Amino acid sequence: MHTDYEVIVIGGGMSGLTAAITLADRGKQVALLSKGDPVCCLSTGCIDVLSAEKKPLQAIAGLPYRHPYHLVTRETILAALQQFKQNVNQSGLPYSGDPERNRTILTAIGTDRTTCLVPETMEQAACDTENTIHVVSFKRLLDFYPSYISAGRPGTAVSTYEDGATSTLGLATQFNSRNFTEKFLAWLQGRPITQDKVAFPAVLGSISPGKVAAEIEALVKRPVFEIPTLPPSIPGQRLFRALKQSARRKGVHLYWGATVAEIKQGATRVEALALSNGARKTWLQVEAVILATGSFVSGGLSLSRTSVEEDVFHLPTYLPGKRDNWFNEDFFERGHPLEKAGIEVDSSFRPLGSSLENIFVCGSILAYSETNKYQCGHGLAIITGFAAAASCAGTL
Amino acid sequence: MSVPFEHCIRCTLCVENCPVFKVNEHYPGPKQAGPDAERFRLDGQKIDEAWIKYCTQCHRCQTACPYGVDPAQIIRRAQLAYGRTHRRSFSAVLFANNYYLGLIGSTLAPIFNRVSRLGLVRRLMQALGISKYLPFPSFYLHSLRISRKHAGQGRRKVAFFYGCFLNYNQPQLGRVMRDFLVSTGLEVVLPPQVCCGLPALGNGDLKTALRFAKKNAKVLGRYIEQGYDVVYACTSCGHTLTHDYPGVLGLEKGELISRHSFHLAEYLLTMIDEDRWKGSFGSLRKRIAYHIPCHLRASGNGYPTARLLEKIPGLDCRIFDEHCCELAGSYGFKQANEETSISLGKIAGDALLSFEPDFIVSDCGACRMQLEHFAGIPALDPLEILLKSLAAGPASTQLVNASTIRRGSRGNTGNRGNRDGANRHIEGYKGGANQQPGGRSTGGRS
Repeated sequence: MHTDYEVIVIGGGMSGLTAAITLADRGKQVALLSKGDPVCCLSTGCIDVLSAEKKPLQAIAGLPYRHPYHLVTRETILAALQQFKQNVNQSGLPYSGDPERNRTILTAIGTDRTTCLVPETMEQAACDTENTIHVVSFKRLLDFYPSYISAGRPGTAVSTYEDGATSTLGLATQFNSRNFTEKFLAWLQGRPITQDKVAFPAVLGSISPGKVAAEIEALVKRPVFEIPTLPPSIPGQRLFRALKQSARRKGVHLYWGATVAEIKQGATRVEALALSNGARKTWLQVEAVILATGSFVSGGLSLSRTSVEEDVFHLPTYLPGKRDNWFNEDFFERGHPLEKAGIEVDSSFRPLGSSLENIFVCGSILAYSETNKYQCGHGLAIITGFAAAASCAGTL
Repeated sequence: MSVPFEHCIRCTLCVENCPVFKVNEHYPGPKQAGPDAERFRLDGQKIDEAWIKYCTQCHRCQTACPYGVDPAQIIRRAQLAYGRTHRRSFSAVLFANNYYLGLIGSTLAPIFNRVSRLGLVRRLMQALGISKYLPFPSFYLHSLRISRKHAGQGRRKVAFFYGCFLNYNQPQLGRVMRDFLVSTGLEVVLPPQVCCGLPALGNGDLKTALRFAKKNAKVLGRYIEQGYDVVYACTSCGHTLTHDYPGVLGLEKGELISRHSFHLAEYLLTMIDEDRWKGSFGSLRKRIAYHIPCHLRASGNGYPTARLLEKIPGLDCRIFDEHCCELAGSYGFKQANEETSISLGKIAGDALLSFEPDFIVSDCGACRMQLEHFAGIPALDPLEILLKSLAAGPASTQLVNASTIRRGSRGNTGNRGNRDGANRHIEGYKGGANQQPGGRSTGGRS
């Protein structure tokens, strides 16, 4: 079987999905290949644009000049985030937030975490010291410890629901059902709640958490919000599913569990990619490719003692010097130089030093992105995914 | 394709995707039952043996893993090792030999169908560990096994691996598939075949699985060497042929078979691409919830059926691949798994109903059975939709008159829908998966 696509996106994470959606929006025939589920499923589901700073948009100017954010204009950033909001909203998972100004959410250990865009169930999750919180926990849930929160925040009350599954996933599945939710609400109604806000571990259903939260809000007559938990993270999963749904709605063909088995390329162009189905290869013809395979964790880059490899096309990579320079002394210090490793690109997101002209690169595989140091993972993925796709669409 | 279990970084993405883990707290999930436990197994240490019995082998963990680890495969091998050293339950032995059950069932169809629905018999089956929430599928005297084996003439030749479900439970649909393939200009044979071996694998019986697989491999290998392509319709058989024959079963001809076997829809797409067949699809104004069988999802090859359905003008088709139907072959037929199977079947059914479809479509007979039961609307094979559309198309052929296919369904016992003059037989073809000889009694949601 051979098939023609205008663009094949490799990588099903935030940047790949964003790129695929952006191209489909521009009327392109797009396929998206992914080896597996992306690490965004393990995330809090919040979008960090530049969480190391208070005002992300303004602070971008101060980033090192090679940071990929400098490849895009302010308008592109706004358009990319706007498109993201629209897409997740259409999938029933509205996000709010403003790249001009970061906000905070309460974490599972009671500290504040800075982020930029949040799902509707975390809109109320910014808690200053004045706010008192009532945490609702589930007795058998193993991965959530409200005592961390109450220890750090005087005035915190905790209610514990005796029923419910032992995992976040199990609970979210239960909250999808009317039966369980009603039983839970009936119990909640009897609780004496005097605090300013009511917090839940992020398990309020995997389908329509906003509706469940609204129902609870109506009952307790206070703002209600979710606190992201250890993985499996339900908000991360919701985010991924919402974008996947959006891509599918726009006609993107998704190939999951698919690895690139072979590549056909001419002097300057990638011409076709093969997927493997058992021992047989299926060829997909293509006009352009978006590489969004992520960094080390996602498997886009792999590291040996002397070099860093890009695993699909073996594109030239940037590595910050020799092994001695890769790490800081302190493991927990943010910003190990190795984080700068990746693919260097020109202003159109094409890889530098490669003769292949129809590849466009986006997301955390980009050199100098240092997503950990600047806390810009999802934001960088969305913004460069959008920009690389726009650049790619311009060549077709 | 998969890498050693040591590559697992314990990220839990596989757990997030495990249907059983969602509703059954006794199952610790694929991470723990797979790579985590493997460290202990290799050390000869004892781990909870119940874990591996909860796994349905839906392979969702495998498609989720971004590092190339295959928890399903690790668990599969543990299941087989367990099966070698332990006495298997009555239901496990019965379902491993599902092929023979079908053979008896179809040979004695009129009696078997009645008897298997008697209250007493059902209680007896329950006592033997067989769940009764889903009625046993009906069998037909005129199985595919004894249908016309060779039809059509063409430069391209295909060997149709129809599998047990079509053979015994929807033979008329199987004959329609055969005739349809012929109508596209192919020469079609129905090679002698037995069960693909998956039910035996799923019930921890490697010996039986190998016996079946070797038989098939010998025949299919011979056809392939004579220039035939193997075409399958059941995605679970397909996954077994293409992945398990060269993989866990390690058959000599496994690679050859894997390279030359195609899903029906994939084969049709290839023919369209290569201009060997013009699918002149007519308009079909229907809403279709297309449930992706887990084994199609696991093939890593995209969804060819969806791409074919996309070609039908007017068809509003939505893909649903987030849920396993959780019948999982014989898994849901076992008493021990009943609760899990029912909860997940309802979840999958509800998801489909949220689209308010006219029909459910799925490539897998077991999925269709389960989803029709829980969603309470007809679940069709994709070919039934394609035929409806082709019948409405500009080049509608006499052969593929889809309206006759659907006639006689939904509790209408009068019309036998018998269209194949050469193959007159006593059973009526009824679309959908759960039809009862005596009218429809399985619908409705429970």
